This record gives sequence, C-alpha cells and structure tokens, in this order.
Amino acid sequence: MTSMPETHAGGRIVRPYTMTGGRTGVGHPMIALEALVAVTPAGMRMRHQFRWEAAEIIARSRSETAIIELAALLEVPIGVVRVLTADLREKGAVTITEPASESGSEADTPGYTELLQKVLDGINAL
Amino acid sequence: MASTPSESTGLTPVKIVVAGGFGVGKTTFVGAISEIEPLRSEAIITDASYGIDEVTADATKTETTVAMDFGRISLKHQLVLYLFGTPGQDRFHFMWDELARGAIGAVVLVDTRRIEACFAAIDFFEKRRTPFVVAVNTFHGQRLHGEDEVRNALQIGPEAPIVFCDARVRVDVQRVLGNVVEHTLDRVMSEAAAS
Repeated sequence: MTSMPETHAGGRIVRPYTMTGGRTGVGHPMIALEALVAVTPAGMRMRHQFRWEAAEIIARSRSETAIIELAALLEVPIGVVRVLTADLREKGAVTITEPASESGSEADTPGYTELLQKVLDGINAL
Repeated sequence: MASTPSESTGLTPVKIVVAGGFGVGKTTFVGAISEIEPLRSEAIITDASYGIDEVTADATKTETTVAMDFGRISLKHQLVLYLFGTPGQDRFHFMWDELARGAIGAVVLVDTRRIEACFAAIDFFEKRRTPFVVAVNTFHGQRLHGEDEVRNALQIGPEAPIVFCDARVRVDVQRVLGNVVEHTLDRVMSEAAAS
C-alpha cells in the first residue's frame, strides 16, 4: 500500500471534486442543506444521459430528497452534491425547493408566523 | 426570502439545529424522533488552517472532513422537519453558521456534569440571535440541578427557556422541539409588536 484512496464512492475510487470538474460550488448561491431536490418529468425522460452521481441523484430524487440526504446516501461531500444538483437544475432535470423562510431576516412576519404555527401543530400531532 | 412556492409536490423543508458539547447526546436526541436512522454527511474543508489532525487526515493532504448527523421528520401540512446535530469539536464552529442559516431555532443540549461544554453553543446562538431552548439531558431520569442553578451557571437571561428531557425518549424530544418553535413564535410576535 503506497497511497490511500481519498474517497470511496459507490464502488468507484475517485477524488471528490473530479466528479464536478474541479468545481467546489464557490460562487454559486449557496443551496441550503435542507433544500429539497425533486426530479422533473423531463429529468425522468433524460435520465439515461446521466452517469454516476448525477444518475444517482435523479434516481434518489423521485421522492423529494434533501441535499444533505443525497450527500449521505451517495457518500460524497455536500459541495459535490450542490454542484451536480445545480447542473441538473440548469438542464431542467430537477427542481430545488429552498426553505420557506429565515428567522431573523426581513421575512414577512404574517407568513412566517403562519409557517411556525403549522410546524408546531405538526410536531404536536406526531 | 419568505415563502418560496414549491415547484414540485409542494413539500416545504424546515430545520432545527441540535447543538451542545461533544458526547452530550445530540445524535441520541435526533435518533429518538427521526423517521430515518440518523445519517451522517460530510463536508470537505480544504483550508489547512482548520487543523489536520482530524479523522481522515494523513500526511499528504490538507483536507479536513467535518461530519454532521441529521434526521428527518415528516409533518402534516406538507412539511419536512430536518434536525441537524452540530459537529462537536470547537474548531468546527465555522460550520455552525451554515447550519443555523434559515433554522427555526436551536436546541442546546446540556449535560449538567459537564455544563461548560455547551458555553460555545450558547455564545454562538446569542450572538447570531438564533432563538434557542436549553434542554438539560437528564440521563436516567435524574435531575441533578434545578432550573435556577442551570440558569445561573449558564449566565443566560430569563427569556431563554430551560427545559428538562431524556434525549432517549421520543415524547421528551417531541416536547423540546415544540418548545423551540413556541419560543421562536414568541420572539417573532413580540418583535412585530415592537416595530
């Protein structure tokens, strides 16, 4: 053994950012960790064009799946999933639903209050 | 950036951060209520200044891997609640900002045997003005200190709720998460009333 593989993803040994052509997602608007990725009908039709992680993202996003879940399931770093998912969105293959609101921001208060009440109701109903 | 409508099936993601010192029971807390086994996800930090003595470091690279545990809970009203455990070690606090961004609020888990382990989390959320609830993890149902003692030791004002829970028990975790949302609601409504 002279060197260790830097990461081990899906049976393939590859440095993480070679999947993204060296792009780390810097400069993209940051996609939230909990943003939900869903494949579109167009994405389903073109799914055979995609290989490796991109194909996996398409397959896993038939039901909405968060960026961070994709990273865990595919065993690749979060930054890689962000770049690949942004690419897929550009091609119209997936949609990305960002979180609805941010606490402490200029969020419109009635909308945020309503969301919080729904979350509370949802937690209490578990 | 309020209420971005979903283009897909209409699910809305929300999140709550679970913070606290290393080994205080964050993953247990998340696992007690998550509908999936808590998963671990990694971010690779390429800046060597964050330290190279982390788990994956070897002599040939300057990358550090930060692991985050998370869980998911589907709620009614088409909501999906994600729970994020913060990386425990102090030198990963720069990651907390990303975790806290957009969060409804936070749980700061406290073990009263090592109360100082949560100071960094409290400092962070106070500075960032993220609403948080202090949850004292009463292992085995033992309440080692009263609320006043904990509040004194943590030096926090009366506005931050302190609750007691057993991080292994689902109904306790459920109650604490409800406390976080209520606390955030109170804050949002009182700020709206004041402006």
